[in-house]
Amino acid sequence: MVRINRDVVVAVVLLLICGIFFWASFDIRQPDYGSLKPSTWPRAILAVLALLSLIYLAQSLKGGEDQAEIDDDKPRDVRGWFSYWRNIFWCFALFFAYLASIPMLGMLISGVLFVFLLLSVLGGWTWRNVILHAGVALLTVGGMWSLFTFGLGVLLPPGEILTPF
Amino acid sequence: MIIENILLAFAEITTIKTLIFMMVGVAAGLIAGAIPGFTIAMAVVLTLPFTFGMPASQGLATMVSVLVGGLSGGLMAGILTGIPGTPSSVATTFDGFPMARNGEPGLALGIGVWSSFIGGMISAVLLVTLAPQLARIGLEFHPWDYFMLVMFALTITASLAGKNLVKGLIAGALGLLIRTVGEDEAIGMARFNFGNDALLQGFDFIAVLIGLFAFSQLLSDIRDPAMARRSLAERGTVHAKIEHVRALKEIGKRWTLALRSALIGVFTGILPGAGGSIANILAYDQAKKTSKYPEKFGTGIPDGIIAPECSNNAVEGGALIVLMALGIPGDVTAAIMLGALLMNDVVPSPSFISDEPVLAYSIFIAFFLATFMMVALQSFMLRVFVLVIRVRMYVLASVILGLCGIGVFAINNVEFDIWTLFWFGILGFLMRQFGFPLAPMILGVVLGNIAELNLARAFAMTSDLTPFVTRPWSLFFLIISVFSAMYPWYQAVSGKRAWTRYYGAVLSICLSLPMFMMGGIVRPIIGTALLLLGGFFTVKAIQKQAVA
Repeated sequence: MVRINRDVVVAVVLLLICGIFFWASFDIRQPDYGSLKPSTWPRAILAVLALLSLIYLAQSLKGGEDQAEIDDDKPRDVRGWFSYWRNIFWCFALFFAYLASIPMLGMLISGVLFVFLLLSVLGGWTWRNVILHAGVALLTVGGMWSLFTFGLGVLLPPGEILTPF
Repeated sequence: MIIENILLAFAEITTIKTLIFMMVGVAAGLIAGAIPGFTIAMAVVLTLPFTFGMPASQGLATMVSVLVGGLSGGLMAGILTGIPGTPSSVATTFDGFPMARNGEPGLALGIGVWSSFIGGMISAVLLVTLAPQLARIGLEFHPWDYFMLVMFALTITASLAGKNLVKGLIAGALGLLIRTVGEDEAIGMARFNFGNDALLQGFDFIAVLIGLFAFSQLLSDIRDPAMARRSLAERGTVHAKIEHVRALKEIGKRWTLALRSALIGVFTGILPGAGGSIANILAYDQAKKTSKYPEKFGTGIPDGIIAPECSNNAVEGGALIVLMALGIPGDVTAAIMLGALLMNDVVPSPSFISDEPVLAYSIFIAFFLATFMMVALQSFMLRVFVLVIRVRMYVLASVILGLCGIGVFAINNVEFDIWTLFWFGILGFLMRQFGFPLAPMILGVVLGNIAELNLARAFAMTSDLTPFVTRPWSLFFLIISVFSAMYPWYQAVSGKRAWTRYYGAVLSICLSLPMFMMGGIVRPIIGTALLLLGGFFTVKAIQKQAVA
């Protein structure tokens, strides 16, 4: 029996993406003018991508998982898996929160909070670290915000809190 | 006319503001290149948002400065800590680190700095002289030829794929697909926006690049909590003063090696898909093979520093020759430079140098000046480097991630772009984890619209497909595309299968055909030479087969 491995899953996801995009390519309006239809080029790419994904699927089913990419240190249980990817999860979660809070808090406050929280999560919450991280976050994001706002004249989102000022 | 353009470009670059930006760029590049885990491509891509408000020549000069600084920065880490700052300086550590450990860090740094300077200067001279000549040939191109040229550049993805060819090609195709989202290039019809108006403009190119490359790299650097809290200084640092005079004397004694290594670098840069990471090893290898004392390599001799450092700085000159003359990026950094040009509404093409001579020569002059600045700033940046490597990895990564958000927003003042950065950061990280190389994807993103636009132009002229094989240049690029795509396969079975013996011969014979079709005097002579070379290779292959 063929064992489902990570590469097989990735290949199937790629084929699904090809299917979704191919289906979406029928929504592209085909005007009477222009000799190259707007859907021709994307469909040609999709055909190549689908073919390559099929080859990848066949390779993965036949040869198993790409051994060069397997990290022996990667834990196999769920708890170990979360611990292994802890830093990455925090990064994505905090960056997501940073972006989601921009309309409310503005670029400056969100940015400072993001850098401060990420520094503290990755570096530890000792008193010394917290003070150091707050200083680094204020100086770097504040400095960058000032450079763009006052130096380059870019209007960064002020957010609902800072708008009145 | 050329003198006038050079003078105008010189006047444009030598303003106080531009020179200051260039100095900052070189300094930032030197530091970025010196930090292992921070690639030159990452430094250049992160510079892009800062340059958007600048005039085109100033912005591009700043980016060229970061590039030149980055190419030279790797040697500091390599020589002082034994960890190469960038893949381009791997071979520098072979002799640079032992020399530093033998008590001569100042001499090792001096040789590295001046070798970088010489490599940069030689490639800058070749850039100025060769790029306009190559561009003149490019002016003969029609949409069919140009489309095939882009197809050839896309086959480079095969050579960028590394260990897994299929994964590399998939990454390249995904890059092309990403570029089709939004209004199409030719007539502006909405594609793949799934009802989202923000997607009508497509993904911002810079946000995609920063997400794919920088964001995902930073995440990989801090994945391991213990490594994230470590700083480079813990791995040992040496304080040193650069010995310029002694270093110059040592290089002077080996000037032929320096020249040869620089030429290897330029040639590697011109070859699509081959960058500094290959050039420094190639140059080191040839230095060892041609040396009278090959056994001393690896013990800390000047030759082992001169060869890789001359070649890795010369690479970008070679890559810029092809980018400026034909509009085709040969490696990831050149692809990002192409992005910078596009951001300034400049579309690099064969007519770029003749249409925008002042801007083109500004880039040439910036390359020259940045190389001088690199030498001047090295001594000072060495002190900064010693300070920077005390900073822990997670601090650098967190700050840069935060600043990425501001920088990307500032490009178009659109919040959607930061979300693009986020999603492509995740995609890039996943692709890295699943073993997909990112370089082909970036080439796909960069070249996708150029390919489609030229295909649309060709179809607007005629729906007949035969010009793709009847036009000499199109046929020329079609042939080298086929051979380039097959190259990794050829490389894998070279010597094991009989057909591989005839690979070079068939390529030469096939390429002679478009040369004859081009007419004139010189090109048929080149065609005849190629035909004779093909015949020679065939005879050699038959003899080899008979012996076997």
